[in-house]
Amino acid sequence: MAEKTENAVELKLDGVSKIFAKVEKEGITHALKQVDLTMKSGEFVSLVGASGCGKSTMLRLIAGLIPPTTGKLTVNDKEITQPDPERGMVFQRPTLFPWLTMEKNISFSLRMQGKYQGNEERVQRMMRMIGLEEFKDDYPSQLSGGMAQRVALARSLINQPNILLLDEPLGALDAFTRMNMQDEILSMWRARKQLAVMVTHDVDEAIYMSSRVIVMEAAPGRVKADIPIELEYPRNRSSSAFVEYRNQILEMLNYGAKE
Amino acid sequence: MKTISKGGAAGTAQANLTRQQLEELEERQKTPFQKVLDLLISLLPLVAGLAAVLEYRLLPDSFSNPVPNTYLWFLLVCIGLYAVRLLYGLAVLALKQDKRPFQKTRFRAPLYTALFLLLAGYDYLTLKTGILTQPLVPCVNSIMNAAWGDRVMLLTSALHTLRLMFIGYFIGVALGLVTGITCGYSKRVRYWVDPIIKFLGPIPTSTWIPIIMVVSGSLFGGAIFIIALGSWFAVTVASMTGVSNVDKDYFEAAKTLGASERQLVFRVAIPHAMPNILQGMTQALSTACTAIMVAEMMGVKAGLGWYITWAKSWASYDKMFAALFVICMIFTVVTRIMNMVKKHVLRWQAGVVK
Repeated sequence: MAEKTENAVELKLDGVSKIFAKVEKEGITHALKQVDLTMKSGEFVSLVGASGCGKSTMLRLIAGLIPPTTGKLTVNDKEITQPDPERGMVFQRPTLFPWLTMEKNISFSLRMQGKYQGNEERVQRMMRMIGLEEFKDDYPSQLSGGMAQRVALARSLINQPNILLLDEPLGALDAFTRMNMQDEILSMWRARKQLAVMVTHDVDEAIYMSSRVIVMEAAPGRVKADIPIELEYPRNRSSSAFVEYRNQILEMLNYGAKE
Repeated sequence: MKTISKGGAAGTAQANLTRQQLEELEERQKTPFQKVLDLLISLLPLVAGLAAVLEYRLLPDSFSNPVPNTYLWFLLVCIGLYAVRLLYGLAVLALKQDKRPFQKTRFRAPLYTALFLLLAGYDYLTLKTGILTQPLVPCVNSIMNAAWGDRVMLLTSALHTLRLMFIGYFIGVALGLVTGITCGYSKRVRYWVDPIIKFLGPIPTSTWIPIIMVVSGSLFGGAIFIIALGSWFAVTVASMTGVSNVDKDYFEAAKTLGASERQLVFRVAIPHAMPNILQGMTQALSTACTAIMVAEMMGVKAGLGWYITWAKSWASYDKMFAALFVICMIFTVVTRIMNMVKKHVLRWQAGVVK
């Protein structure tokens, strides 16, 4: 099957707020307050900020897993009302279905949409891409953390989503696996140039991977700064421009060098 | 934890190793003394079997024992089977250098030895000395003769029991799955069904029998109802727990992958709840076994439970024991099958639970 032709998408958040009722206590939490953002195909956007600044909430709103309290989220002017495989999501935990083999996990989405017949070779291609073909009959309990996260990535990429949502996908991995996977995700993104939105705690990771870093602030969650990263890929983590971006962002997060 | 072999260059030299060779590599070498000891231990069941035969043949009986050769043949067949197994193990060891069949036999040897000694001891206490009151505790030979003599009756009774039990069991399991899964998934259904479960649940199944006997016209139908009720309850509770405990993350992942509401139930919730469901089905099976026995002893006019009370009323204790033996065999086989099903369905759990 030929690759699906690229659909340029424009994701818009228009005055989006999300308010949660506090668990066990009276009162409410402003997870997000009046966020206006526009993101386009070809961008790799990272959301960074202290915990509680609403970055995961924003991702779940975009995925359509939760509705906004006020405001509107649209993709190409169509409002987001429910999850859609067009917006693939990778979670911090791989959340592979433990009762399915790796191959069945990757083909899960195609099966659910009744598109498996005739697309078997797409599953093979995904497994080749993550380099784990020989483990296709293994169950998730037999895979290491890095392998599982690769499978989770393949599982959502098989739909060739126009928007790829990454919720701290590398947060639970060791440093080396993490750096390898940063490069792997980057090369996948650069091959298809979809819109990628990633939540991360790691400022280096954000600068290394993104074309745009959005710094967020907590209580109430809102956008503090929107910084385009103008560096060529592949990036050098110790170049002076890289270090400068790091200092700038860390300072915004109040972790700047103290005098 | 497995590591990802990217190049695989380091892995290929070792990759030709078969699992058997690997196990041998990792195994500690046995001393010659240990090897001889293993062989001796594996011979013990033969010695014990022979002892049982000699005890039976040589000691004088304390009362008359008609058709004495049934038990003798049984012993000889058991000894023969073990000998064949041992010889096979040794042959494989000598010819193919594969230790596993022999080691399995060696592992079981002490148990078989004990079984033979138990048989010999039991025979001594009953037939030979009558220390255990006769004829209340009949010797193995007369139990076997009774079972063989009454085989048609025993077989029809067994089939009747199985039929009744499985009709009730499957009705109960099927309904239990439906209620359990819908209750686990939908809070609205749980609102209505939960009180029923809470109210009816604590009543032991057997308590219903007298009521059913009065109300129901057909005892056959009544017994099915009781068994179905017990199974329904066990499966409902287990599958409800299983389905309502599905990690929210799995549902969210499935949703972003395009699963519909229906698929969330059938492709996520149910597979995830499978361990609970199977556990409920196992529990239901043991409830069903108890219930069928009680029902047959209290009113149903057929089946093994009825056979036992009937044999007791005629003071044919050997027949009673024969029926007990058949019940034991049936339930062992049924449980075995259940475990095999479980192991197959839950093969993805290997390594997770243990």
